[in-house]
Amino acid sequence: MTNEKQSRALIFDIQAFSVHDGPGCRTNVFFSGCPLRCKWCANPENFETKPHLMFSDKVCKWKNGCRACVKRCKKNGVVFDEISGPKINWKICSECTSFECTKYCAAHSLKVCGKYYSVDELMNVLIRDSSNWGLDGGVTFSGGEPLLQYDFLLQVLEKCKEKMIHTAVETSANIPSEKFWNLMQYINFAFVDVKNMDDEKHKLGTGVSNKQTLSNISMLKEKKWKGRLVLRYPVIANFNDSIENAQKIIKFMKQNNLFEINILKFHRLGQSKWEQLGQKYAYEIGGDVSLDYMNKLQELYLKNDIICYVADNTSF
Amino acid sequence: MANEELMNELLKKHGINANSFENKEENVPEKTENCEKLLEIYYDLKNTVDMEYPYWFNRAWFENAGDVTIIRKAKAEAAALSHSTPTILPWEKLVMQKTRNVRGAFPFPWITASFFNAAAEALMNEVDAPVEAEADAVSIVGAGGGNVTKSYGNIISIAKKFGMRKEDVPVLVKASKSWDGCSVEDVSTKYGKDTPNYKLHKAMMDSVICMFDSYCIPQGREVMNYYLPLQYGWDGIVELCNKKILETMGEAGDDEVLGMSRGYYYEAMKIMAQGMSKWCQNYADRAKYLASIETDPKFKKNYEEIAVVMGNIAHKAPATFREALQMTLACHYAVVNEDPMSGMSIGRIGQVLQPYYEKDIEEGITSEEEVIELLELYRIKITCIECFASAGVTGGVLSGNTFNNLSLGGLTKDGLSAVTPLEYLIVEAGMRCKTTQPTLSVLYDERTPDTFLMKAASCTKLGMGYPAWMNNQQGMNYMLKNYASEGMNVEDARAWCLGGCLESSPGTFLPLNYNGKITWIPGGASPTCGSGVHFIAMPKVLELVLTNGYDNRLNKQILPKHDKKLDSIKAIEDQWLEYMHMIIDAANKVNNIQMDIWRRQMPPVMASMLKPDCFRDGISLSDGGCRYNASINFESCGTITFVNSLAALNKLVFVDKKYTLDQVVDAMLNNYGFKTAYETGVFSPDYREATQNASKYEEIFADAVNAPKYGNALWEADQFLKWYEDAMIPFIHSFKSYYAKPLYMCQISVSTHGPQGFITLADPAGRLAGTTYSDGSVSAAAGTDKNGIYAVFESATCYDHSDCQNSQLNLKIHPSALQGLQGTKKLLDVVSAYMRKGGFHVQFNVVDSNTLRDAQKKPDNYRDLMVRVAGFTQYWCEIGKPIQDEVIYRTEYEQA
Repeated sequence: MTNEKQSRALIFDIQAFSVHDGPGCRTNVFFSGCPLRCKWCANPENFETKPHLMFSDKVCKWKNGCRACVKRCKKNGVVFDEISGPKINWKICSECTSFECTKYCAAHSLKVCGKYYSVDELMNVLIRDSSNWGLDGGVTFSGGEPLLQYDFLLQVLEKCKEKMIHTAVETSANIPSEKFWNLMQYINFAFVDVKNMDDEKHKLGTGVSNKQTLSNISMLKEKKWKGRLVLRYPVIANFNDSIENAQKIIKFMKQNNLFEINILKFHRLGQSKWEQLGQKYAYEIGGDVSLDYMNKLQELYLKNDIICYVADNTSF
Repeated sequence: MANEELMNELLKKHGINANSFENKEENVPEKTENCEKLLEIYYDLKNTVDMEYPYWFNRAWFENAGDVTIIRKAKAEAAALSHSTPTILPWEKLVMQKTRNVRGAFPFPWITASFFNAAAEALMNEVDAPVEAEADAVSIVGAGGGNVTKSYGNIISIAKKFGMRKEDVPVLVKASKSWDGCSVEDVSTKYGKDTPNYKLHKAMMDSVICMFDSYCIPQGREVMNYYLPLQYGWDGIVELCNKKILETMGEAGDDEVLGMSRGYYYEAMKIMAQGMSKWCQNYADRAKYLASIETDPKFKKNYEEIAVVMGNIAHKAPATFREALQMTLACHYAVVNEDPMSGMSIGRIGQVLQPYYEKDIEEGITSEEEVIELLELYRIKITCIECFASAGVTGGVLSGNTFNNLSLGGLTKDGLSAVTPLEYLIVEAGMRCKTTQPTLSVLYDERTPDTFLMKAASCTKLGMGYPAWMNNQQGMNYMLKNYASEGMNVEDARAWCLGGCLESSPGTFLPLNYNGKITWIPGGASPTCGSGVHFIAMPKVLELVLTNGYDNRLNKQILPKHDKKLDSIKAIEDQWLEYMHMIIDAANKVNNIQMDIWRRQMPPVMASMLKPDCFRDGISLSDGGCRYNASINFESCGTITFVNSLAALNKLVFVDKKYTLDQVVDAMLNNYGFKTAYETGVFSPDYREATQNASKYEEIFADAVNAPKYGNALWEADQFLKWYEDAMIPFIHSFKSYYAKPLYMCQISVSTHGPQGFITLADPAGRLAGTTYSDGSVSAAAGTDKNGIYAVFESATCYDHSDCQNSQLNLKIHPSALQGLQGTKKLLDVVSAYMRKGGFHVQFNVVDSNTLRDAQKKPDNYRDLMVRVAGFTQYWCEIGKPIQDEVIYRTEYEQA
């Protein structure tokens, strides 16, 4: 994002009636692009901040005789094999910008992921939806990493404040402190992901250090941020599921006057997306944690006076 | 639980509102043993037709030839009811039913007999599959549950749904024979032929562009009024009649036409009341006998109680809650036995019976749990109400449901919330005893207490499809507009509720004097709020506009050629309205005759007693005795399929100009190069199998599918819904009913979007031939609402819903989105959001599509699975496959 006042943002989905991403009924705006590269990610299509192709062979109608995409692609990105159906040549297709094939796919098996919105366009959607949220709800900015498209988000947040819209964010807080603080002043509710307290492990799992994240959280305490902060992490076997990691989190939370954490159960709902992008998914096997163990972790947090929500069972 | 309590405390310590943290589902208690047992029996029972009622009706009718018609009819009805064999099952507390069979029905040869007469020989030869009408042939009845779709053993399948014992067949044939040429059907057909466009109407019926005739179900889609028998009892009504007869017999009063009829009217009512009394007494006697031979003390006591209740209500006004509930049930059965019927609604019974409930609880005569059990048993009783009509009506239109709707909430006569403590128990009974009927409707008002809304939402969440949610203020506004010329005022408008599944019906409050005080109880005050023009397949009419009136499915010119150059979207809209005018005008005249012959030849007696102000004035329902008579509607089908087609035509042909109209029509006629659902047998909107022509149409098909669709808050598409409503509302008002009042728009599809989708070729928006239309009137076409639920709300409310009898929105939400108390609140947020926008009605399927798919494969494992179709709940296994496919394919919100 080079220009100073970013006029539009790449957004890959806007989900209405989102009920697990903050208080009440919400509209969830998913921003493209993320500085992290979590190996278990459920939305890998949004690593990059650019529109790209997705292909879902489950809804493809090739078995019923459809061949619409094959001849539309002038770059030979889609090749057809009579036995196993259409194949996407990701070397070609991941560089595509015209997406001709998607215009002829009536099944929406091939589609473009990511659409540019101007501030006004996004605000129009939010204002339209705002009368549906009820008293508790609002907008949640999610992703990808919503804070990455900083200039745009800042403009949107200013307008949300003006319209008295409740704002929430789902973030890894992995952006420079000054920008983080500028944005957070407009945020009422935040989920901040701390995937691992151990920096080396954090790097291994996500590709980046956790230092920025942790210091940003601490800054919120120092600057007496007024919002509600819920820490969050997906519990992944052999990565961050240890009691030791939990104890470190507890210590960190105490230091920062935090009292709510949401632990999520690992799932593979994103697996097909890795395949749709032509990439290999690292967690085809492994990573699972039993519900019993999740409950055990919850006990541990509770013993330390920290409110710990397991999965969707939250107080909002 | 301990953890949640602990977290609540911690939250409180940090100053966060903690009362709401309760995410476990509340356990719904099991239904009672009696209820369990009776439900098991219900599941095992097959739909059964027998001839007891028609036999006695016929006998009394013909014995009384020459008598005044309404008196003759009263004698026939009274004879039939009072000779009906009382059947009581040991676990019952509430008794009576339509026939001697628990899940029974019977034919009404005096209404329609041609089918049986034409098939007499075949029936006598016990050959099944007699000749079918077209609407029957394209209607697919669910094959599971209680439906008898094929003959077996000693059972003959009739109307693809009912079984009749072979020994009853000669009675059926003989009884039908006596109505040959003089049934309502035959007489009205005779005069219908004299209407100017009868041929056109016939062509519309044959091509299923109009779904069925009015005489098929002349009553129903209206609300019961139980006031009179609750206040006076049968003996009291007889006494009132005697008094009125003395006053009015031979006295013309001020009315040169109807004045003299009053005496005959009260004679008829007296006979009917006596018949009701005898019918109730028969159950008392039967119960007494059963008690005398029963050895199990529990059952013996049960029979004794029934004997007391039935003995009391055979004569006196009810004195307890149980007696009052039983009394309403007796009235209900009597009315639904009067005609083939669907949608005879119970109305706001939780307000009607509150005084009885209140007194019994105060005096310790009964407990909350006992009342809940009675209400559970009541559900089973109402679920057993079957309607015997042709396959086209029972299967195709009604999906086997008879829409005995029960409304909750709304406002009282003086404008306060009408919610009663009893209504909470009605909801609770609906949660414990999950049956298809009565379906529940909440009249949502800003004044309805949150606690009640939460209770109702927690029931909706369980996935049975009820309660559905209706906008009370919009309903009232509609009453005030539609019935203005008949003096509708705000007080009466507050008495409205749902007749049938979604037919807003006018009502009034009457003063029930009970327990030493007056309670103003709401009840229906009109004849049927349906029975005008029945289900016009609007997308098919658009198809005919594009094909110059030629039906390519039947290879027949069925509408006159218009020979116009369709060079703008306006030209298409105009021609569509012109065709609609022809069709509705022809159908309306024929249907007016049908309903008029019905009210003259077979005037409803019981309904004429109960509906205000008939009894007050001595004027029958037939003669316009009801307070409100502007109640006859026009029913549409396929609104959104039609809207999407216009939006696609506009985009492809007139805005982008990428295709000529001929190219679009060519693609439609060739089903975009896919095999039709007729060939593949798969009706799911997303199934397609290519032919060798497919590649030719790939591009236009993708463009059609990707054209703007209704339900995404896109004006490009929504403008056509707005245009449609703005054009249709005054247009429909220009037709007059047999009561000489304007028709109005009823926008529910019930199940007709299945059969009428079946007859419609592929459309310009990419819907393929034979597949279902989008259901209701504002549900998005399956899979096309890409911008979420709030965008659907935005699109749906682009016009004022209070200008029509109803609108209908079906939503499917994944159960995971609604877990716990928080989830219930969020469901309520969704409902409130839509109501605040002025949406009239929303209903939910809270079910996982995977469950439905599995149930389609293994119906036996899902005998009690229910889904919401279009205004009613039905057992999954009893609905036809096209509708099953449509429900599965509906967009699911907040998929996990």
